[in-house]
Amino acid sequence: MSGFRLTRAYHFSAGHRLASAALSEAENERVYGQCYRPHGHNYVVEVTLAGALDPVTEMAADLGALDAAVRRVLLERVDHYDLSSAVPALEGVITTGENLARTFWDWLAGALPPGSLERVAVIETANNSFEYRGETSRSPR
Amino acid sequence: MTPSMSPGPVYVTRKFTFSAAHRYWQPRWSAEENTRAFGSLTVTHGHNYVLEVTLVGPVDPITGMVMDLAELKRVVGDTVIQRFDHADLNADPLFAGGQIPTTENLVRGLWDLLAPKLGGDRLHRLRLWEDPTFHVEYLGP
Repeated sequence: MSGFRLTRAYHFSAGHRLASAALSEAENERVYGQCYRPHGHNYVVEVTLAGALDPVTEMAADLGALDAAVRRVLLERVDHYDLSSAVPALEGVITTGENLARTFWDWLAGALPPGSLERVAVIETANNSFEYRGETSRSPR
Repeated sequence: MTPSMSPGPVYVTRKFTFSAAHRYWQPRWSAEENTRAFGSLTVTHGHNYVLEVTLVGPVDPITGMVMDLAELKRVVGDTVIQRFDHADLNADPLFAGGQIPTTENLVRGLWDLLAPKLGGDRLHRLRLWEDPTFHVEYLGP
């Protein structure tokens, strides 16, 4: 029984621009609009872990270990960098919120206890957010 | 080329705001019964509503997006904001049958307006905040 879901929020600031190598300059401008221009965000990343209560610590997740993992595999790679040009691990990735959520999931899943990662949310602005829950296909409603 | 990334659906949420007036009044009841059930809500008042629209779907491999958020803004703007911002909900055709414009009825009405334009399969959740202390979620019929 997993029982608990714990969510912790992290911040980083980074530059990016949205551009697809598969599209022409005119198409990129049309598809991405003002996001085609180099700009940046104060990103918030929420990481949700699922787990059962540890009988000794009475915690469902070790937040210290989570913080260390997120700092190492995520924040140190992206904070105060240009996501579109200066982060080798994002080379070739169009840095939409959708793709960042899935990429951060992949980075974090390998650094956290197996099966514990439940959800990664990338909050790009106060109005836009993007969540990946590790689903490989959409379960029917 | 885009590096491999976890497949599967991503949840995209965008926030919108509109301000509208309403009052709770059940025409089948007497004034006393209305006052007893709804109290001060029987008097016309208003709210700064916040509508969170969550879409779910596969990420387009060319654009890296589930849906162009500018397009989502257009659809919600044309369908919801223009119609309900600075409007009297009780006077809207949505409540012409004397239905009470509760948050529940409003969020369901908004779903019925938005689902045909966004696709009932892609529209995952509407969360309607009446004020910062109260919201109702609707996941579709």
